[in-house]
Amino acid sequence: MPRARIHRRTVLKGLLAGSVVSVALPGLDYFFDPPLTARADCAAFPKRFGIWYWGNGVLPDKFRPTGDGPTYTLSEQLMPLAPVRSKLSVISGTRILTPNTVPHGSGPSGLLAGGDMSSPDGNASSGTFPGPGIDQIIASTIGDETLFPSLEIGVQRSSQSVSFRGPNAMNPPETSPAALFTRLFGASFREPGTMTEPDPRLGLRQSVLDVVHQQAGSLTPRLGVADRIRMEAHLDGIRSIELRIARLQADPPSLAACMRPEMPLEAYPDIEGRPQMNLVSDVMADLLAMALACDQTRVFTVMYSQSVNNVLYGDHSAGHHQLTHDEPGEQPEVNDIVQTIMGSLNGFLSRMDEIVEGDGTLLDHSAVLCTTDVSLGRTHSLEDYPLMLAGSCCGAFRTGIHYQSPGAENACRLSLSILRAMGVLAPSFGQGPSFTTSGLSGVEV
Amino acid sequence: MKMYRSLTPLNSPRAPLAAMLCVFGLAGGCVEDVPVASPRASIGFGDPTPTAGGLPRLTSAQYRNAITELFGPTVLVPTNLEPDLPAEGSVALGASTNAISPVGVERYEGAAYAIAEQVMAEGEVRGMLVPCSPSAPGDAVCATEVIRPLMRRAFRRAVTEDEVQSVVAVAVNASATLGDFYDGLEYGIAALLMSPDFLYRQALGDDAPNGGALSAFELASRLSFFLWDTVPDEALLTAAEEGRLSDGDLEGEVDRMLADPRVRQGMRAFVSDWLGLDRLSDLSKDPTIFRAASPELGPAAREETLRFFEHLFLTTEAPLAEMLTSRTTFVNRRLSAIYEIPAPTADGFGMVTLPESDERRGLLGQVSVLALHAHAVSTSPTLRGRFIRETLLCTSVPAPPVNVETSIPEPSTEARTLRERLASHRSVSFCASCHGLLDPIGLGLESYDGIGRHRTLDNDFPIDTTGDLDGRPYADMLELTEALSRHPNLRPCFVRRVFRYATGAAEDERDLAAIAALLSDFGASGDRYRALLRAIALSPAFHAARADASLEEMP
Repeated sequence: MPRARIHRRTVLKGLLAGSVVSVALPGLDYFFDPPLTARADCAAFPKRFGIWYWGNGVLPDKFRPTGDGPTYTLSEQLMPLAPVRSKLSVISGTRILTPNTVPHGSGPSGLLAGGDMSSPDGNASSGTFPGPGIDQIIASTIGDETLFPSLEIGVQRSSQSVSFRGPNAMNPPETSPAALFTRLFGASFREPGTMTEPDPRLGLRQSVLDVVHQQAGSLTPRLGVADRIRMEAHLDGIRSIELRIARLQADPPSLAACMRPEMPLEAYPDIEGRPQMNLVSDVMADLLAMALACDQTRVFTVMYSQSVNNVLYGDHSAGHHQLTHDEPGEQPEVNDIVQTIMGSLNGFLSRMDEIVEGDGTLLDHSAVLCTTDVSLGRTHSLEDYPLMLAGSCCGAFRTGIHYQSPGAENACRLSLSILRAMGVLAPSFGQGPSFTTSGLSGVEV
Repeated sequence: MKMYRSLTPLNSPRAPLAAMLCVFGLAGGCVEDVPVASPRASIGFGDPTPTAGGLPRLTSAQYRNAITELFGPTVLVPTNLEPDLPAEGSVALGASTNAISPVGVERYEGAAYAIAEQVMAEGEVRGMLVPCSPSAPGDAVCATEVIRPLMRRAFRRAVTEDEVQSVVAVAVNASATLGDFYDGLEYGIAALLMSPDFLYRQALGDDAPNGGALSAFELASRLSFFLWDTVPDEALLTAAEEGRLSDGDLEGEVDRMLADPRVRQGMRAFVSDWLGLDRLSDLSKDPTIFRAASPELGPAAREETLRFFEHLFLTTEAPLAEMLTSRTTFVNRRLSAIYEIPAPTADGFGMVTLPESDERRGLLGQVSVLALHAHAVSTSPTLRGRFIRETLLCTSVPAPPVNVETSIPEPSTEARTLRERLASHRSVSFCASCHGLLDPIGLGLESYDGIGRHRTLDNDFPIDTTGDLDGRPYADMLELTEALSRHPNLRPCFVRRVFRYATGAAEDERDLAAIAALLSDFGASGDRYRALLRAIALSPAFHAARADASLEEMP
C-alpha cells in the first residue's frame, strides 16, 4: 500500500521553533499507512482517538490500583470507573521525562507533544506546547476524511486547551452545548440515507474562499517566518471549510448508529456558584458520541476542566486548585473531587460504549487517553503520571488490566503507541529526554 | 544575538535585589535581567520565537468596533468569535503571537455572512452603502461603486482596481446565480470580511520582513487601533494617502485623534488588557461565603474600573499616582452595597466620593482588583501581591517550583488569621525568597475580603495589615497605597505597559532608549495619560516595523 506523506502544514509548523530544519524535522517525519491487518469486525468502522483531560492531578496513593494484570483491584479514586473497567487499562509507574519547568504545563506538554511547555511568564495558562500534540498529528493524517478534522470540547467554561496544532496554535474548546449542537447537528446536518439536493450557495461560498486565497497569496511573501506560519494556519482553516463544502455536496455516510441527538438546553447556569460539571459533561458526551457515530470527526479533545482550575464542586470548602495546595493532611476534599471527576469520565466512556457498531461498540473502535496535568497536585510532581487508556482501538490495545511500569518508563512511549495504533507510521516520538523509538509494549496487543 | 525576555531592572534600589534572592523557577528565573537562552540552544523543536508584532489579528472587540465603523451601530456581530488568548498576560501580545484555530476561521465565515445579510437587508444601512440603482441582478458597475469604498475602509489602505474587481466578480456571479443584486452583494461583502487584509493589521514596514519604516497606511492603522481600538476614519486614511502623516501634520492628526470621543474606546481596551478585566466576565465566587456575590458582580466591577480610569485619565487628566490614592469612583447599587455607601442613582452607575474616614482608596480598593486576585472562597495575599509586583511594578516572579509542600495549616489557636497561617511562606527561607516579595503586600489588603468588602476580623481575630514595601513601612491600606504611589517602579512600569500595548510586541533591549525618552516626556507632562499616548504616537519606535525575530535566528 502506498504511503501518504503527512500534510505539509504540520511539518511547516515544526519550523516555528527557530530551531530550524535540522532538529525540527526528524520528530515530525511521520507517514500515514492505512493498517493492513485491522480486525474483521472493525474493518467497516473508522478508528477514533480522543483525549479526556482534567486539571489538578490526583492523589497518587489513592489513585494507583493494587495488583496488576487483569486481576487488579480498582483503587478508591478509580472506583467510579467500575462499570467500564473491562474496557480500559490503567497505567501506573511511568514518568514524564521532560523537565518540569511550568507547573501544570510541563506534564501535558511532555506527554502529548513530547517536549516542554514554553511560557515566558511561567504560567501554564499562557504557555504553549513546542509542537503539535498527538491528537493533531493524528488529525493531520486522517482529519480530511471527515467533516471536522477534530473537535475540541470543554465542560468547564474556559478557553484553555491541551490541543495544540503547533507552537502558539491552540485549539480553544467549545464550551456551549447549544453552540456545539448547532455546529454538528444544525441546519447543515443530514441523517444517513438523505439524498443531497444541489445547493448553488455552496459553490458561491467556495468562490469567496478562492478570493481569500488570492488575497493571502499576495500578503504572504512579505511576512517573516513566524507570521507566515500564522497565515498558513489561517489558510488551514479556510481549507478545512472547503473540504466541508465539498463533503456537503455528497451524500452523508451510511452509518446505522447515526441519528440527530436531542437538542441541549440553551444554558446550564451555575447553581450557588457551582458549575453543573457532571450534567454538562453528560450532555457533551451525548453530542460527541453521536458526532463520532456519524463519522463527523475521528479525533477529539474533551477539556473536562483546565489546568489550575478553581472550579467549586459540590459542598466543598474551596475551589479545586486551592484545595490541592492548601488542604492539609490526607486531603479528603481533593479525594472526593477526583472521584467526582472519575464519575463524569465513567459517564462519558459508558456513553461511547452504548453505541453499537457491528460486533462491537464505538468505544471498542476508539482509543481514549484519559489524563491530567500533574500527578500529585500539591507538589506538581510528574512521577507516576496518571494515565488510562479506554477502548482497544480495534484490538490494538489490551483492556481490563492494570499495567504497572517496571522501571519508570518514559510516558511518551504510550503516546507513540497511540500514534501507531491510529495508523501514523512514526519512527519515534518526543524530544530530548522524552525521545523514544519504542511504544509502551505492556499495553499493546 | 542575545535575546532578552524583559528589560533590565527598573531603577528601584530594593525590588530587584529582593528578586535576585528568589532563586528557583524557570530557566531565566525571576531575576529580570538574565538573558534567555536563544531558541536554537534549547532542545527539540523548541521555543517559539518572540513576536515581531507585525501582523496582529483583530481582537474580538476590534472586530466589533470595525463593523460598527463600516456599517453603523445597528448591525449585530455574533458573539462567538475566537476567544482572545493572551500571551504573557496581554491580549495585545497574544493577538500578534497566536495562530487562529480552524474553528476560529469557521466562526469568521459565519460572522461574515451574518453581517452581510443584515447590511444587505432592505433598509437604512443598505441605502447608505449602495449609492446606485442596479440595472440588472449582475450590474457590475453598481457593485463596484459599493465594493470599492468599502474595501478601502475595511483594508485600511488604497486598493487596486484588480483587487476591487476580484471581489466584484464574486458578487456579480452570485447575483446572477441567485437572481438578485443584493443577495449577490452579500457574497462580495463576506469576501471583504473574511479577507486577511481585514482580519490582520499589517505593520510590516517598507523592507518587510526585515522591518523598516511603516508605510503611511500602516502607521494610520497602528495609530487608530492604538488610540481608538478601531479602523482609521476617512480623514485619517486620506491624510495617509496624501502623505500628511509626518512632522507637524502628524502632530495635528494625533491631536485630532486624542480629542475624538473614540479615544475612550481605545482607553477602555488598554485598561481591560493591562488589568486583565475580561476575566471578570466569569468570576467564580462562592455565594454561600460571599453573599453579595452574583454573576452580575464581575461585569459591574469591570465597568467601575473602566469608568474610574476614564474619569482619571481623560476627564480630569490626573497624574498617574492618583489611580492609587483617589477617593472618587463609580458604582451601581450592587457595588455601593459592597462599599457600604448610599447608591448615587437608582439605575446604572454614578460617581461617588468615598468618605475621608474610609481607608479604601483608588484601584487597590476596587472590587475588580480585590476579587480577581483572590480565591473563590477567601482572599489571597499571594495573588494580590503578585498582581502589584507584576502588573503595577513590572517585577516578574516565577511560578512556584515543583516538589514543594504547599499546604497551609487549618485555622487553630496557634494560627488564627490567614497572616498567621501563611507564616511559613515568610519564615522558611526557601519559600520566603519569592513569597517575601508577594505576601507582605497582599497582607496589607487583608482588611478587604475575597470580593472587596471591608472587614476588621479574619476568623474572628483582628487583622494586622502592617508591612513594608521595599523599605517603606505601612500600617494599613491607606499607607500602602501611599507607599505604592511613590514607588520608583510605578511610572516606568506603566510606560512600558502602554508601549507594549501600542506596538503589540514584547519590549526588549532595542526599546530601552525609546522607553527612557517616553518616561521623560511622561514626567514632563506631570504623568498625564493623554500626554503619554501622544508621546508614543510621535515616537520613532512607534513608526518602525520590527524585523521578524525568527529571521535573526536563521542560520
